[in-house]
Parts: sequence; C-alpha cells; structure tokens
Amino acid sequence: MSETEASPTVLQFAPLYSSVDEGFWHSFSSLKLDKLGIDDSPIPITGFYGPCSHPQVSNHLTLLSESLPLDEQSLIASTSHGNRNKCPVPGIMYNTNTLESFNKLDKQSLLKAEANKIWDDIQSGKALEDPAVLSRFLVISFADLKKWSFRYWFAFPALVLDPPASLIELKPASEYFSSEEAESVSAACNEWRNSDLTTDVPFFLVSVSSDSKASIRHLKDWKACQGDHHKLFFGFYDPCHLPNNPGWPLRNYLALIRARWNLETVWFFCYRESRGFADLNLSLVGQASVTLASGESAETVPNSVGWELNNKGKRVPRSISLANSMDPTRLAVSAVDLNLKLMRWRALPSLDLNLLSSVKCLLLGAGTLGCQVARTLMGWGIRNITFVDYGKVAMSNPVRQSLYTFEDCGEFKAVAAVKSLKQIFPAMESSGVVVAIPMPGHPISSQEEDSVLADCKRLSELIESHDVVFLLTDTRESRWLPSLLCANANKMAINAALGFDSYMVMRHGAGPTSLSDDMQNLDMDKTNKQRLGCYFCNDVVAPQDSMTDRTLDQQCTVTRPGLAPIAGALAVELLVGVLQHPLGINAKGDNSSLSNGGNNDDLPLGILPHQIRGSVSQFSQITLLGQASNSCTACSETVISEYRERGNSFILEAINHPTYLEDLTGLTELKKAANSFNLDWEDDDTDDEDVAVDM
Amino acid sequence: MNSGREVSDGRLTVEGFSVAARAFADKWKIHNQSFPPWSWVPLINRTLHLSNQQEEGYLSLEEILILSSLEESPEDESLNVATDCLEKEESVDHTILNQENEAHYYDFHIVYSSSYKVPVLYFRGYCSGGQPLSLDVIKKDLPSCSVSLLHESKWTFITQEEHPYLNRPWFKLHPCGTEDWIKLLSQSSISTGCQMPVDLYLVSWFSVVGQVVGLRIPLEMLN
Repeated sequence: MSETEASPTVLQFAPLYSSVDEGFWHSFSSLKLDKLGIDDSPIPITGFYGPCSHPQVSNHLTLLSESLPLDEQSLIASTSHGNRNKCPVPGIMYNTNTLESFNKLDKQSLLKAEANKIWDDIQSGKALEDPAVLSRFLVISFADLKKWSFRYWFAFPALVLDPPASLIELKPASEYFSSEEAESVSAACNEWRNSDLTTDVPFFLVSVSSDSKASIRHLKDWKACQGDHHKLFFGFYDPCHLPNNPGWPLRNYLALIRARWNLETVWFFCYRESRGFADLNLSLVGQASVTLASGESAETVPNSVGWELNNKGKRVPRSISLANSMDPTRLAVSAVDLNLKLMRWRALPSLDLNLLSSVKCLLLGAGTLGCQVARTLMGWGIRNITFVDYGKVAMSNPVRQSLYTFEDCGEFKAVAAVKSLKQIFPAMESSGVVVAIPMPGHPISSQEEDSVLADCKRLSELIESHDVVFLLTDTRESRWLPSLLCANANKMAINAALGFDSYMVMRHGAGPTSLSDDMQNLDMDKTNKQRLGCYFCNDVVAPQDSMTDRTLDQQCTVTRPGLAPIAGALAVELLVGVLQHPLGINAKGDNSSLSNGGNNDDLPLGILPHQIRGSVSQFSQITLLGQASNSCTACSETVISEYRERGNSFILEAINHPTYLEDLTGLTELKKAANSFNLDWEDDDTDDEDVAVDM
Repeated sequence: MNSGREVSDGRLTVEGFSVAARAFADKWKIHNQSFPPWSWVPLINRTLHLSNQQEEGYLSLEEILILSSLEESPEDESLNVATDCLEKEESVDHTILNQENEAHYYDFHIVYSSSYKVPVLYFRGYCSGGQPLSLDVIKKDLPSCSVSLLHESKWTFITQEEHPYLNRPWFKLHPCGTEDWIKLLSQSSISTGCQMPVDLYLVSWFSVVGQVVGLRIPLEMLN
C-alpha cells in the first residue's frame, strides 16, 4: 500500500447511464393499451446492470421487456435470478398520459421520494439484506402511442454527502495488491460470479487475510469480518470503465457505510471484468474519506441528485421514435415492399419497383373490371389509384365486384372502392370521383350543356394528372371521350371490354401528335413510326347509343363471372409490361408467335402484345396487332386537331350528332366507296391475324 | 446409417436443429474464445406435444460490441423542452462529462425455420441508449467484403421481417437459398457423397452466413 498525493481531492463519480431496449417499449405499449388504459399510477419495474465488461465502454442500467410486470403472452421464459450480467434493481416508472403532464411532473419531489426510500432502507437494514436497493432508480415517461414515440428521463438518486467525500487514493487493483493477493482476489471474485446465488448481488465485502487469502462475503456479515490482520474492502460491481473515477453506485454505498458503521475512511473496490472474468487491471482500489460535518447527526436525510444527462451531455429528457418497428401501417408497407423485392431478387432483377410505386392510375369504371384491376394493381405495388364512377353499389354487385361487401350497398361505388382499398392496405393513396362520362349518341339538352362541359373538363384534368388510364366502363360509347383525351395528352390507355363469354384487352397506341414531338430523336424505321391503334380504330361507324332499344338482357352487361378477373388481370400485366419497357407507350406490339417461347434478357417480362382477345367458351386466347387508322373517330390526327381547335363545341357536336364524327374523319366517304366497290374476297392474302394460341 | 444423424438434402428437422445447435455452441465455446459463448434460449411450449421430448428454442449471442468513431448519434425527435425545471442542484463532487464513444451493439439469433427447414440468422443493432440502428448504419459496421457479397450473391440478402418469437422486426439473412448452397457444401467436403453429419450442419452453415455479418469462425471448428 503506497501513498499517493497527500492532499485529498473531492471524489468525483462517473454518472450512470440508461439503456432502454426496444423490447421494453414494445411490452410497455402493450401493457398500456391492453391493461392500463388511462391509469397513470406509478409502475414498479426492474432494471438490470452488471459490472463493466469492456475497457473502453461503460455498462448501463438496462430496461428490457422483462423489466415490466410479467407478460403472460411471451414465448420466452423471463430471466430468472442468477443471470450474471443482469443484477435486478428495483425502480419505479411514472408514465403520463399527455406531454403537458410529463413536463409538469414535480421532478424534485419524485427524486426526493425515491432517495428517501433508499435512506429508509439504509436505516432499517434492508440495504444489508438486499444491497441492490442502493441502486434504486426512477423513470418518468410519456408514451405517444399514436406516433410511437417515447419521451423519457431516468434519475439515479444519489444521496449527497455533506461535506462531500474526498479521495485519498485510487489506483488499479493490480497495482495495489501483491500478485499473490491479486490472484486470490480474482479467484474469489470469479467464484462469486460463477455461483447463481451470488452472481447478481452487486455489493459485497472483500476480505484479504494477512497470508494473502481473499474471500468474498455478504454485506450483512460485516461484523463477522471484523478481525485482526484482515484488510476489508467494500466491493461493488462498477459499471464504469474509466481508470480515474469510480462509478455511480459508490455514492449510496458510501452513505450506507457511513450511516451503518460510522466509518470515516473507507477502502473500496470497484469490480470490473473483461471476457467474463475478473480484470484487476481494469478494477480499481481506492480510499475515501467520509467525515461527518460537525454538529450533524448521521440520521439527517441527505439531499439527493441524479437526473440523467442525455447523450449530448444536457440535463434534459431523452426521446426515441419506434414508428418504424411499431406502427402497423409502416409494418404493412415494409412487408409488401419486401414481397416485391423478393420477386425482383429471385426472378426479375430488372424490375423497376420505384416506377411501380410512383405511377398514378386512373380507373374509369369501378365495376367488375374496375375492382379486379385495382386489386391486381395493388399486388404489383402500385399505390396511387383514382376511381371514376357515377353509379352506386347495387345488391347484385358484391358477388362480382371484389371491392364491395353487403354493407356497401347504396354507397357511391367510387367512394366505397376507395374505402375498401384503404382497408386492404392502409398506405394506399386513393380517391374517388363521382362523375358521368359524356357519351356520343346520347344527346343532351341545352340546359345540360354547361354541366356536361364541366364534366368533360373534369375528365380532362383527371387524365392530365395521372400517368395511366384504364377504360373499364360498360359501354362502347363511354370509352370514346376518354380515348380521345388520352390520345390528345399522349397518356397510356389500357382498355378492357367483356362480351358474354369473351373478353378483349388492349393498349392504345401513342397519340398522333407524339410522332412529331417525341420521336424525332429516336432512330426508328418507317414501320415503327406507325402508331398502334386504339379501341375505335377499326370501327367504320362512330360510337352510337348502344343501350336504348336493346332488350333488357343486352342492356345490362351480363357476362360470365370468370371473365372480369381474367381480363382485369391481363390488363394490369399488360400495363406492367409497358411500364417496364424502355419505349413505354411507343413500344411496338409483339405477337405471341414471334417469341421463342421464353423470356430473354431484353424482355424479362415476356412479349408485349397490342391486343389480347380470348374466350372461355373455347378456353382460348390470341394476340392481335392493329395500326392506328387515319379515319379513327377517337385518335386520328384529324379528330385531335379539330378537338384542339374547337374544344367544347367540337365535343358537343360529337355528342349530339353522331354522324358528325363520321363526316369529319371521312368514314362517310369510305363507306360510300366501299358500297360501290366489288371486292374479290377470294384473293385475300394473309392478314395481321395470328394463329390462335391455346392457353 | 441412422437417417436422423445425417443430412443429405440440405435441410434440417427441428430435432436435428436442436442437436446441431448444441454441437455448434460447444465447439464455439472451445475454439472461439475471443467471443462470448452462444446460449440456448428455450421456448415455452404452449401446445401439448406429448411425444416431443426435445425442447424447441434458438441460439442467442447478444451485446456484441462494435466501437465506431465518435460520430453524431442519430437525431432524436426534436425536444421541445421549454425550461429545465430543475433547480441548480449539482454539488461539486459530481460528474465528469462522460464523452461516450458511439458504441454499437449487436444481437444475433439463430432460429429454425419450419417452412424452409433450415436455420436462419436474425440480427439487430442498437446504440448504447437502446435506439435501434437502421440497415444503412449497420451496413457501415459490416466488413467491406460482406457488403459486396450481399450485392453480388443471389444466395444471401438481408430482409427485415418479424422475429418469430419476439414480435418485432429484426433483420435476417433470407433463407430461400440456404438449402441449395448447403447441398453444394456437403457435396464438396464430405467424401461419402452428399451426406453431412447433423452436428456439423450449423458449423458449416455459419461458416458462410457468419461472414456476411462479420463473424468469422476458426477453421478448427470445422473438424
């Protein structure tokens, strides 16, 4: 035992820091939501700490899921006593229900109350039986269970000695003890640590006999350890790693020693480990002086300090956000994203998932086709869907229209569909528009003109503000205006239509003005400069009223139920193919006979047809290719420029006078020419029709 | 040969996993003393499995410390603390401002997947205060060779999924390729065809998987 400086300095302690495992907040949230509700009475909790185990990093007082009163739902058995790195320490948690009440908590008196408990335990002797109570702690918190963020503040109450303890000497234990003593002390500590009964007792006595034999005893055996020729050290698990300072638990330890045994100088032993064994280089031995101020009795309750500093060194609360691991919507989003990423990793490395999640889809029609398309779009990770539908959910709808249930009957479809999407996946961005699509062949009166034009404008704005338009309505003529608007705005349009037992799915070609704008820079040969056709390109009549005067079964769209899912799914798969294609809307149409049967690197998703037609009466499906027609009533250059020039009056005329479009596009002329022409059908060469492909 | 003692198709039964896990933990303790030992965490079996004497559980290695340089810890939510409502209370014998190095801690669990019939490595990282680390931060702690392994290899990639027993998201190395590359390993190393003794399964498995998260095992463990 050698002397160091003669003049003692004030003993400075390293503060204790908290570490709250994520699992604690998870368990606490469940507890609050399931059991506590608005009850904010204090909750007894258990903290855990152990001796320092690393020369560069201090240990902390930790809260884990098992810090809270027992969770019956847990699949893991909670830690029983005897875990060497988890000495249990009693604590108390005050969780408030609002941020304001958190800020208003009387921190002084809360701290004082806990300090008083420590003092009482010292006075009563409980601290000798169960010394862990010397490290009693306090947490105040506010758990925001809507945002999944937690504000909290720990206090480690320390009784302030007056006058403060002063340090006489402090050095590494390996320098203080002789090598024989050190070996014996190490062995005794390791034995203490290896026994389940003692390993979690953080305060103890180290008795070193004159023949260098060390033994470790419980605090309550202090009297028994009094004897000649024994050096007695007050040992404790020191979480701190610093070589020149003992850890926080020593504070209350000194208060205990002074109060119970009236000692004025105290030899202490800061026990630290590395790799699971006692490390006497890291551990410290020191001597402190704890004289009482004159006139003061040992029974006065000392003051207390101990609010924790945050990780920037300020004495303010800490905060943590766990939304990423607790907010159910975020969890759903990451699960869905994971699914798509797995598809990309395992099967389709070139898949552009960012593109899919950002594309905005406009669905005109929220019936059998609209519902199926929406669901399949969600499966591909598309998050932005707008529904346009004028109708309400009828009693016959829920069985065929997969977004609606019985409860939705009577609601506007556009509204019910949006609600349904959000229920399926909360992170969907979806809106519904209740508006009727103006149709040629259904003349309107002059009073209705203004509102119809307003609807046209609305439709036009919707198309402009989306990237893809699905034409899923139940009549031919209702597809005319959207087709025209898409061609005008050069927006991707996917069209699906059903017959009784047949279906048609197609993608419209680029708009006519796109040729001059976008494709100047592309090096494409003459054949590819031809645009693909739209739904109306092959018509020789303008769209007309197809509904009135038909028999009832032809007026209601009656189709075999299997068709809508097939056609809806094909429409979405076709869209994804276009989106992933480098040329997008300008991609040329493939035929299934051209492919070599497999996907190659250029076309990882396979071929990209123009039209798909199929029937369930034959269980067959073919792909078709059609070029844009110069006489098309919806997408020809004539019609588009007329629309651009005359706007509303053009639309009104088309709606009210169906022959107008035929005259404009020259279809009238064509028909006259056809009627006066004798065609010899026998010599017809091969056309664009493909061999039917059996599915 | 006792079919329960060997693996020939790259997959493990749940009993095989328990056996392999203990063998792995024992070998680790002997040969890999620079790390703390793995511990077996038993699961409370709530269903009545009368015949099942083997307890189910998983291997756990926790609080592995990686010291990164002193950097700003991730910003917490802005603390609108109006006033520090504590009075001046600090007496002289108080704190040294403890400049904590930003220590990152990692927990590893080896869990059996009954759907893939292979072990899966789950892991998570957190700082000393308990805040979880994001995958970007974790990747910075990984050795550089493992980051490139993750990029190139189609056998190993990190996903975030719910831990099967702890009800919160952990990172894991996705197991969909495990069966295949275990078969490759067993073909090349054992002379008696594709058989691999059960108690070597986890050791072989970990020799690949551990590298991705920077945990190497000494070659002696493979004997």
